[in-house]
Amino acid sequence: MTKPSIYRDLLLEHARHPKNCGRLESPDLRATAFNPLCGDELELTLAVSEDIIQDCKTKVRGCSICQASASMMSDLILTKTLQEAEKISKVFTESLTKENEVISESLDSLRPLIALKKHRSRIKCMKLAWDALEDCARQNQT
Amino acid sequence: MQNSPLTAKVRKDFPILKREIHGHPLAYLDNAATTQKPKCVIDALVNFYEKHNSNISRGVYTLAEEATEIYEDGRETVAKFIGAADSGKIIFSRGTTESINLIAAAWIQPKLKAGDRIIVTEMEHHSNLVPWQLAAQTSGAELLYWPINLESEKSGIGSLDLQKFEEMLKDATKIKQGIRLLAVTAVSNVLGTVNPIAEIVKIAHSHGVPVLVDAAQAAARMPIDVARWDCDFLAFSGHKIYGPTGIGVLYVKNERLEEMQPFQGGGGMIRQVNRQTSTWADAPQKFEAGTPPVAEVYGLTAAVEYLSDIGMQEIQQHEIELTNHALKRFAEFNDLELYGPQDINSRSGVLSFNLRNVHPHDVAQVLDESGIGVRAGHHCTQVLHKRLGIVASVRMSFGLYNNTSEIDLLISELDRCRQLFIE
Repeated sequence: MTKPSIYRDLLLEHARHPKNCGRLESPDLRATAFNPLCGDELELTLAVSEDIIQDCKTKVRGCSICQASASMMSDLILTKTLQEAEKISKVFTESLTKENEVISESLDSLRPLIALKKHRSRIKCMKLAWDALEDCARQNQT
Repeated sequence: MQNSPLTAKVRKDFPILKREIHGHPLAYLDNAATTQKPKCVIDALVNFYEKHNSNISRGVYTLAEEATEIYEDGRETVAKFIGAADSGKIIFSRGTTESINLIAAAWIQPKLKAGDRIIVTEMEHHSNLVPWQLAAQTSGAELLYWPINLESEKSGIGSLDLQKFEEMLKDATKIKQGIRLLAVTAVSNVLGTVNPIAEIVKIAHSHGVPVLVDAAQAAARMPIDVARWDCDFLAFSGHKIYGPTGIGVLYVKNERLEEMQPFQGGGGMIRQVNRQTSTWADAPQKFEAGTPPVAEVYGLTAAVEYLSDIGMQEIQQHEIELTNHALKRFAEFNDLELYGPQDINSRSGVLSFNLRNVHPHDVAQVLDESGIGVRAGHHCTQVLHKRLGIVASVRMSFGLYNNTSEIDLLISELDRCRQLFIE
């Protein structure tokens, strides 16, 4: 890159080689999220036993930031409980909306995303996977 | 040559063009979304509030008379601009969207019956689809879609086939289906297609179907003559023709005015108010309830005068030159897919495209880093994007201050997208 770019290497790496791509054949939980601003779509499928996320896949039709966020999320939430994952999601959302917030340690791997929060138009791209995750958590409660 | 004679002349009129974005000169290529404002428009707004501000009508003091004159003179200027001096009336609204909603609520909804149809095209903006859906849903009517050509024969990809329209109208007559309206855009905000409105209206009228024209894109790009087009309704926005936001225009042919119910109730639109019922003012005031956007009309008038001084023919010619240049440059790359007609005679300077294997959001973000403003998304045309089989696209759209070097800059910056996102 010859010019300063918001696309950090790590982000691009996740976008080019996303982790946990696709969909589980018989998921315990499934949610889709849609971005009405650009038409992007994301499907999250989770295998959960005893509240622990055993497997996780995302199927993304979206931009590099949306794809990278989904990949990073899948890395972070595997082997965590749904409650823990939901909590991370909430803290992540807060860190995107608050000014100069100290970034919690649990979000360390999400720093490349949080660094983009001044691009307001891209927050929905980052949030798409997490919206689906929170939807799964809600389904699990009911 | 970087600047055409027109561009060289007008660029200094637009203060925002002095801005730098991320250390680069602003290359504003999102004119289909909104246009930048010349100094005369900005001055008009300031002038109004500094010198003439007051409410219109009823006031008998000097300021109120000045404001009333500003507002009504604006109506006349706009009427002249679109060739509407004798054939109908200009109603001011908040924008194209409100203009179309006004017709949906005040004209079509009261007369729609179950089984009726409204014809729309697949290239319509949501603002020329959703108001008709809302009106249709209350009465059991439905929308009929006039499809776009996707084959390159006939008049080209992304154009409307007039014969197909005739067939739709004939089929409707056969089964005695009431077609209440054709709602069609003059210029597509995605494909750039310029539709042959005069011919379309002629066909529609020969089957007794009134026509509403969405001129949101056309108004800044070509001369408009509603008398020649013979359309029943025409809508456009001030902010897309170098005027302020919050002001829109609705032209209604005289015959149709009689058929229209009030839109919103309130001050200014009444003749007499009794305890239970009221009677209405004459058009156009009947459709302009509440304090109107007087300053915005003043700004719009300044914009219309600015465009008229340059000449819409010259503006159109400038856009044709830019579009020609862009089409040539696009043809150099086989990983660029351009949507809409390739033929310069049937398109305008709105060009939507995709760079293979790179999401439009990512393209737009990378271009922004070089000061280029383009739009990414579905551009409020989800029906069209589904028909094209894509989720989103990048859109570059020209204004009268753009030049060929801005197009060349965009093309060369696409290389950075390739480097970043394609291995």
